[in-house]
Amino acid sequence: MANQTKHTKAHEEAHEHGPGRYVVIWLLLLVATITTVVTGRLDLGAANLPLAMVIATIKATLVVLFFMHLWDSEGINRLVFGVSILFVMVLMLGVFGDLFTRMPMSLPPNAPSPALEQGLNAPELEHTPESPTAPR
Amino acid sequence: MSSSDASDLGAHRDGNHADPHLAHHFDSMETQNHASRLGMWLFLGTEVLLFAGLFLGYAVNRHFYPHTFKVASHSLNLVLGTVNTVVLISSSFTVAMAYYSVKKGRNKQAAGLLGFTILCALAFLCIKAFEYQHKFQEGALPGKWFHFHEMAGMPGANMFFSVYFLSTGLHAFHVIVGMAILIWVLRRLIRGDFTRTYYIPVELGGLYWHLVDLVWIFLFPLLYLI
Repeated sequence: MANQTKHTKAHEEAHEHGPGRYVVIWLLLLVATITTVVTGRLDLGAANLPLAMVIATIKATLVVLFFMHLWDSEGINRLVFGVSILFVMVLMLGVFGDLFTRMPMSLPPNAPSPALEQGLNAPELEHTPESPTAPR
Repeated sequence: MSSSDASDLGAHRDGNHADPHLAHHFDSMETQNHASRLGMWLFLGTEVLLFAGLFLGYAVNRHFYPHTFKVASHSLNLVLGTVNTVVLISSSFTVAMAYYSVKKGRNKQAAGLLGFTILCALAFLCIKAFEYQHKFQEGALPGKWFHFHEMAGMPGANMFFSVYFLSTGLHAFHVIVGMAILIWVLRRLIRGDFTRTYYIPVELGGLYWHLVDLVWIFLFPLLYLI
C-alpha cells in the first residue's frame, strides 16, 4: 500500500513540467514544416520521398511523445500504440514485398521497367491482361 | 477488519472523499483515468489502421504511376496546404496547452485556448473547402468524373485524385468530429465541470485532436510536395 502511494506520487510528478515543453515542441514542428516545404520542391531525385518521410516521422514522433504524452504515460498505452504501428508495418511490408518483386519476376529478361505509365511508350506491355485500362 | 474500516481506507487512498466523478467500481481517480486513457489509445490504434489502408492505396498507385503522381501533386496549391499544416500544428499546440491549464486550475485560460483551437479547425475546413471548389472547377475529380485538361491522357491521373479526395475527405470528416468534441468539452468547461482532479474529457478530446494533426503530418508531404 505504501509502495503504491509512493508510485502514484512519482507518477504524478513525472507529469509536472512547465508549459515551456509544449512551446519548444510547437516551434520544432514549425521548423520541420518549413524544412519539408523547402526541400520538398528541390529536385533531389530519388532522395525527395525518403527525406519527406523522415521529416514527417520526426514530426509525428514529437506529437505522439509530447503533445499526446506517451513519453510519460502508462506503459500499457505505449504498448497499444506500438502494436498498432507494428501492424501498419506488417501491412506495408507485405504489400511492398509483393509489389516490388512480382512484375520484374513475371517479365522476360531485359524487359523495360514495369511502371504502368510507361506502357504507352512500350506497346508490347499494353496487351498484358493485368494492366489496368488507362483513362482516356 | 469491519466494512466501515475498509471504506475509510479506500477514501484515504485516493485522498478525495467527495469527487462525484469517481465511479464506484474504481478505487481511485488515478485508476479511473488510467482506464479511460487506455480505452482512448485502443480507439486511436484502430484509427491509425483505418488511415493506413488509404496510405497503402496511395503507395501502390504511386508505385505504378510515379511521374503522374509527381505532376498531379504539383497541381495542388502548396501555399494553402502549408497554411493548413501550420493551422493544424498550432491548434494541436493550443489544445495541449488547454489540457495543461485545466490541470493547473486555470479554467478561463483553458477556455480561451480551446476556443482558439475550434477557430483553427474552422479555418482549416474553410481553406479545404476553397481548395475542393477549385478542383471541382478544374475537373480534377476522382475516377470517371475526371476531366482535368492539364493532365489529359496521363494514365493514373484520376487515381491520384481518387486517393486525394478519399484521404483528405476522411481527414476532413475527422476534423468535423474533432471540432464537435472540442465544442462539447468547451461547453462543459465553461459550465464548471472540470477541476484539477477531474480533467479526463479535456485530455481525451485533446488526444483525438492530436490524431487529426498526426494524419495530416503524413498526408501533407505525400499529396502536396512529392
